[in-house]
Amino acid sequence: MNEDLKARIQDEIENHKILVYGKGTKDAPRCGFTMETIAFFNQLGYPFEVVDVLEDMPKRQALSEITDWPTLPKVFINGTFYGDTDILEPMLERGELQPLLESTFKTPAR
Amino acid sequence: MITPVELTALIRRALPDAHVEISDRTGTHDHYDVKVISKGFAGLAPLDRHRLVYKALDEALKDGRLHAIELTTQTPDVM
Repeated sequence: MNEDLKARIQDEIENHKILVYGKGTKDAPRCGFTMETIAFFNQLGYPFEVVDVLEDMPKRQALSEITDWPTLPKVFINGTFYGDTDILEPMLERGELQPLLESTFKTPAR
Repeated sequence: MITPVELTALIRRALPDAHVEISDRTGTHDHYDVKVISKGFAGLAPLDRHRLVYKALDEALKDGRLHAIELTTQTPDVM
């Protein structure tokens, strides 16, 4: 894998408390699943960043290798990979997501 | 495009006991809601359960027959 690209991705992940790699932007999502993920985080009310990687195949490939996860969107919270809303929605229902977000936003950005 | 029958067959290659429920999300045969129930998920964290299913579907995701799925995974005991 391109080490420079990997380092840039790592930097991006560490500098956003909630980071979504998706297809399209917050204002103009270009995939139903990315749109759902944006709606999910809008409803939670914490700030989050969406990075559009739709046209960036090298970055998508690098992200898939880093996460061992083939699809978009990919969600990182506090530097850790959490998959997508298929994982996060059940976490929210089980009451696991709110404490994670609370503790994430209590600590200063790394 | 991929049919629910083909999807189920791919999943059962990795998880032979899998009970698979599929509904076509968009009517275009490339975005599905997929629920997989298998003993093979026992002891695995949600991320790893999903990875297992995605690995089984790797071929179809890579060649574009399948664009995306909404995935739910369960073990038989929680039914």
